[in-house]
Amino acid sequence: MHFSEDDLREALKRKDPGEGFTQRLMARVNQSKAEVTTQLATKKVNGKFLAWWMQRPAWAMAVVAMLLLAFGIGGYQYSEYRHAEEMRIARAKQQKLQQEAERARDQAIMALEIARAKLNHVLQHAQLQAEPNDKIRRERL
Amino acid sequence: MEQPAAFEDDRLKMALTRSVAGDTQAFTDLVREHQGMVFSIAYHFLQDRSLAEDLAQEVFLELFQSIDRIQSPEHLTYWLRKVTSNRCIDQGRKKHRRREMALEEAPEPATVSDQADPMLLERLQQSLATLPEKQRLVVIMRFQEGLGPAEIAEVLEMPVNTVKSTLHRSLADLRKGLTRKIREVRYAFF
Repeated sequence: MHFSEDDLREALKRKDPGEGFTQRLMARVNQSKAEVTTQLATKKVNGKFLAWWMQRPAWAMAVVAMLLLAFGIGGYQYSEYRHAEEMRIARAKQQKLQQEAERARDQAIMALEIARAKLNHVLQHAQLQAEPNDKIRRERL
Repeated sequence: MEQPAAFEDDRLKMALTRSVAGDTQAFTDLVREHQGMVFSIAYHFLQDRSLAEDLAQEVFLELFQSIDRIQSPEHLTYWLRKVTSNRCIDQGRKKHRRREMALEEAPEPATVSDQADPMLLERLQQSLATLPEKQRLVVIMRFQEGLGPAEIAEVLEMPVNTVKSTLHRSLADLRKGLTRKIREVRYAFF
C-alpha cells in the first residue's frame, strides 16, 4: 500500500483537545497565579524588613554585636555546665568503684574468717580423736 | 487577503502584550489559539489522549510562568513547538515507549477523516508510533505543522541536512511498516 504526502498530512491533521481543556488549564493557571502572589507577598514583607535594617546600620551592628555577645556568653556557660557535668559523672563513677572495692574487701575478710573457723573446728575434732589412742599406748608400756 | 492576516497578527500581538501585563483573559485567548497545535504535536507523538492533554497543560503552564520572555506571536509559536517537542522527548524517554512498541500494539487512532482512506490513515498513525522519537517529531513538524527543513532544524536543534535525511528515512520506514502490515493482514486473511 502506498501513501502520498497528502495522506500523511491528513493523518497528522491537528486535533482539538476537547471542550474542557481551556477551563481545566485556566483553573491550574489561576491556582499557580495564587501561589505566585503568596510567594511575592512573603518576599515583599521580607524585602521591607531588610530595607528597614539597611537604613539603620548602627542599629543593625548593635543587634549583631548583642547577638554575638549573647551567643558567646551562652556558649561559655554551656561549656562550663558541660565540664561540671562531666566532672560530676566521673566523681560518681569513682565513688561507685570505691564502694564496689570495699564490698569485695569485706567479702574476702568474711570468707577468710569462715575458713579460719572451719579449720579450727577440724583441728579440734582431730585432737579429740587422737587422745584415746594415746591412753591405750601408755597402758601397754 | 492581506488585511485579515494583518488583523490576526495584530490581535495576537495585543493578546500577547496584555498577557505579559497579567491579563488572564488575554492569556486564555492565546491558549485557545495554540492549544490545537500543542495538543496535536503531543497526541501524534504519544498516541495517548490523556498523556497528550497533561503534556499540553504543562507546556501552557510553563508559558504562563515565562510569558514575559516571549517577544512576538512568531516567537510564541516557535517557543511552544520547541518546548512541546522537548517535553515529548522527555515523556517518551520516561515511558520507554518507542522501541518496545510493536506495530500491532500501537493504539487505535481516535478519529480519521471521511475524505481519505480511513484504513490507510489508521495504519499511517500506527506506523508513526513505531518510529524513533526524533524521526517521529521530524515527521510531525513537517506534515502536521507544515514546516520546512530549516524551520524544523531550528525547532529541534538539528543540522538541516540531518533533518532532510531523517525525513527521507522516516518516510521509507513508514512505507516499509505499512507494507509489512498489509502483508500480515493478507496472510491472516488467506
